[in-house]
Amino acid sequence: MTEISFYLPLNELCQLERIEPDVVIEIVEYGIAQPVKGETTADWVFDTTTVHWIKKAVRLKQDLEIDWVAVALVIDLMQQKETLLRENKCVQNQLKRFVET
Amino acid sequence: MEFKDYYKILGVKAEADDKEIKTAYRKLARKYHPDMNPDKGAEDKFKEVAEAYQVLKDASRRAEFDELRQYGSQSGQGFQPPPGWQHSSGSQNHESEHAEGDFSDFFNSIFGGGGHGFAYSDGMRQGQARGQDVEIEMPVFLEETQGDNVKTVEYQIPVYESRNLEHINKRLKVTMPKGVSDGERIRVKGQGKPGAGKGVAGDLYIHIRLVPHPLFDVQGHNLILTLPVTPWEAALGAKVTVPTLKGSITVTVTANSQSGKKLRIKGKGLKGKSITGDLIVILKVVMPATANDKANQLWQALSETADFDPRAEWSTKL
Repeated sequence: MTEISFYLPLNELCQLERIEPDVVIEIVEYGIAQPVKGETTADWVFDTTTVHWIKKAVRLKQDLEIDWVAVALVIDLMQQKETLLRENKCVQNQLKRFVET
Repeated sequence: MEFKDYYKILGVKAEADDKEIKTAYRKLARKYHPDMNPDKGAEDKFKEVAEAYQVLKDASRRAEFDELRQYGSQSGQGFQPPPGWQHSSGSQNHESEHAEGDFSDFFNSIFGGGGHGFAYSDGMRQGQARGQDVEIEMPVFLEETQGDNVKTVEYQIPVYESRNLEHINKRLKVTMPKGVSDGERIRVKGQGKPGAGKGVAGDLYIHIRLVPHPLFDVQGHNLILTLPVTPWEAALGAKVTVPTLKGSITVTVTANSQSGKKLRIKGKGLKGKSITGDLIVILKVVMPATANDKANQLWQALSETADFDPRAEWSTKL
């Protein structure tokens, strides 16, 4: 059986993805991602969905040569879009059930 | 091997200055970055653009490329570096170092592997031997999120074997953790791309996609069920049996219920990791498709008796 996880501590995240801890700290400071727990930086733990966004943020910053403010804006809009698409699909389904006999 | 004209790829002239190169790259990167452009082929296009930029933004690399470009443009279709060509700086030991598939053969033949600071995706930073992470989408049925279900996941990993693109077929059994929700990402350790040399494999990220259910919609942890009722059930009230994800329950439709009325049944929604949602039943009053004479007489009697104008509000709005 395979080993699955929902959480990744900061040190493991940095080691696996070759991200400097300072970069993750900046990502958190700009509100792009939030740890699910951890009082001090060293204790930070991220859920794996957040890890996905952290990795994306690092890629966008490096590849598009944009600053963290722009990355934060892009990520925020991407997340909003993902949520809206999901909600829209749900509302469309509900409407269809309600209108069709 | 194909000669790559990095100027052409970025759409700039050979005499372009650094600023023009940067601008051209930014425009193309914005257009083809796989995080921004989900189209098939965008990723390959972006890799090509990023590779071109890695060469042209660096003065010494650009000079080397310019030299080769003159040679390359004369060498016809198949490009080979000139005999005795040696990259002026950096490692020549590229076979063991660079993450496979990240640079073209053309790039590697000129500059050696292990692009210096070339940072497109997870596995590409120089000298990194860990395999890249892989993300896949997995359709999951609503019922499968409610217990620890074992699911078989099948996916393909593209790898370069002796410079040929091949696919490794992977098949894994994964326990769907109870309470997993739409859009969530689960990490499966070590099931991504194999590492280079002795490097460990990357991870697999499974993006959960709920398959639409024939009866239920999902809103957060709540389940939404549209319940068709007859006009007389809505008028007189009724007890109706409705399905849940686990067996049926009886709900009470109160007298004089409107179409669209919501009934909330606590704790009969989705079981999350920490909370359980509610079942929200939405009434939908449905007319019979046909009516017989007797029924029509009854409707007629009702229309004469009931003092009801559903459009009464219109007069105040016109």
